[in-house]
Amino acid sequence: MAKESYSLFKESWGMLLTYLTAMVLVVVLTIHLLLESPLTGVQLDATLLFPVARANLIYFKAVFGLLLYAAVIHGVNGLRVIALEWLHPRKRAWLLNLLAVILMGFFLALGSYTLVTVV
Amino acid sequence: MDKMTLEVLRTGGRKARYELKYRKGMTVLDALVEVREKQDPSLAYRHSCRMGICGSCGMNIQGTPRLACQTQVSSLGKETIKVEPLHGMHVIRDLVVDIDPFLAMHTVVRPYLVRRDLNERDRSDREYRVLSEEVARFLQFDYCIMCGLCYSACPTVALDPDYLGPQAIAQAYRYMADPRDEGWKERVDLLDSAHGVWRCHVAGSCSFVCPKDVDPAKAIQMARVEVLKRRVLRKMARAGSPLVSVAPSGVPKQGTKAPPFDFPREEAK
Amino acid sequence: MNLAKTPRFKAGLLSSLVPFGFNVERWGYVIHRVTGVILIGYLAAHLFETFQLSMGQTAWLGTMAALHSLGPLEMVGLWLVAGSALYHGANGIRLILNEMFGMLMGKPIMPVYPYSPTSLGRNQKIAVWMITAVVLALWLWAGLYLLAGLGVV
Repeated sequence: MAKESYSLFKESWGMLLTYLTAMVLVVVLTIHLLLESPLTGVQLDATLLFPVARANLIYFKAVFGLLLYAAVIHGVNGLRVIALEWLHPRKRAWLLNLLAVILMGFFLALGSYTLVTVV
Repeated sequence: MDKMTLEVLRTGGRKARYELKYRKGMTVLDALVEVREKQDPSLAYRHSCRMGICGSCGMNIQGTPRLACQTQVSSLGKETIKVEPLHGMHVIRDLVVDIDPFLAMHTVVRPYLVRRDLNERDRSDREYRVLSEEVARFLQFDYCIMCGLCYSACPTVALDPDYLGPQAIAQAYRYMADPRDEGWKERVDLLDSAHGVWRCHVAGSCSFVCPKDVDPAKAIQMARVEVLKRRVLRKMARAGSPLVSVAPSGVPKQGTKAPPFDFPREEAK
Repeated sequence: MNLAKTPRFKAGLLSSLVPFGFNVERWGYVIHRVTGVILIGYLAAHLFETFQLSMGQTAWLGTMAALHSLGPLEMVGLWLVAGSALYHGANGIRLILNEMFGMLMGKPIMPVYPYSPTSLGRNQKIAVWMITAVVLALWLWAGLYLLAGLGVV
C-alpha cells in the first residue's frame, strides 16, 4: 500500500516548540507587564531617556531577550499553522515552513538589533 | 404543539417548507418520511435503521449536525425545524452528501489490527487474550458508527480538507491502544504529519455532536500524548511520569504480542 | 479507496469560525484564533516601534507623536490587545493541559445513555469558566488603568 505521507517535517517538534514557548511567554510576559504597571510606578507616556535607562540593565535585557525569542517563535509558528490549514499545500509544504523560518529570522534580527544597540 | 413546519434546504439553495401535523414522539426522520410519502416524493435523504446504529441519516438540524432518527421534534422546542445537508461535504442532492473523503480518511489510518507475523493466522492454535482493563482503554472508541457528524462539525475540516478528521484519528488511537495491535509504525507518520493530530485545536465539537459518545476529542488528545511519548517524551514515559494520563503499558513495544491464553490440556494417558 | 484521488470539499474560513449551534469550547477556539491573529499583528507593530529606539531620539519621538495622534484609539487599541493577550494566554494554558498532558479530558469510559462526553465534562467546564472569569476581571482592571486618562472611566 502506498505510504500516505504529506510532509517529511515532523510536526510534533514544531508543536512542542509552540507549547514550550507558550509556557515561557506566560511567565515572562507577566514579568514584562509587571515592570510596566502602576505597581512599579511606571508612566505610559515614555520619553527616549526612560527606555534607555531600563534597557541598560542586563536584567532587563535578559527578560526582554527571552520575551522576544519566545514571542516571535510562538507567534510565527501560530501563523504557520493558520497558513497550513488555510492553504493546505501538498507538494510545497516545505516552502511554507521555509517562509516561516525566514519571517522568524527577520523578526528576531529586528528585535535583537534593538536590544543590542540601545545603550 | 399541533402543527410543525419542516424547512429543508434543497439542491440549488432553494428552501422548501412543508407543513405537517405533529405527533407525540415524532423524530425529524419521521417528519422527512412523511413529507416524502405524502407531499414531495422528490425529496432525497439517506436513512436505514431508524434507530441510531447505521449512521446514515446524519444532517444539519437547527444548525447542529445530528442523526435525524435520534432527534425528537419536541426536543428542539420550535415549530419550524430547519434541516440542511451536513456542512463540510459536497452535496449530491438535497440532504444527501458525498461521504467519500470521510471514508477515505478512515481507510488510510488502517482501521484494523496490524500483525507482523503473516503466517500467524494459518498456524495459530489459540486466541489472543485481552484483559478487561486493557479493553477499557479503547472500548469507548470502538462504538463509532461512522455517521460523519464529527467530521462535519470539526472546524479544522472546514478549513483544511486534508486533515484526517476526528473519526479517523479516534479509530487510529482505538487500534493503537489495542494490545493485540503491532501497527504503530504504519500509523505514526500519518498522525505526526502536518494534517494529523496536531491540527486539532480542542474545539470539542466532535464530541459534542457524537451520537454514540465515542468522544473523539478525548481520543485525539490521547493519540497526541502517545505521539509525544514515542517521539519526544520516551524517557518520561519509561520513568512512569504522572504528567501523562495514558499508562505506558497501554501500547506495547513493537513486535510484542499479548500473552496467549493457555487452555487446560488433557494429560496424555 | 485512494485518498489521493478522492475529490475533497472545503467549507471555508467562515464556516470554521462560526460557533453557533455548538459547545462553549468552540467559542473558545474561535476567540483563541482571533486573538492570536490580533497578537501577531501587535507583535510586528511593537517590534517596529521599539526598533525606532535604535534609530535615535528624533525617530523615537516621531513614533510616539504618531501614536499619540491617534487620540483615544491608542488606548482603546492597547486595551483590546491587553484583552487578547489575557484570553489567549489563559486559554492557551488550558489547551496545553489538554493537548500536551491529556488532562481535563477524563478517562475512557463505557458509554451509558444519556451520553455526556467526559472531554466536555465538569473539569473542562470549570477550567473554561474560571478562565473567562479571571480574564474578564483582569481585562476590566486593565481598562481602568488604560482608559482612565481618556475620561472614559
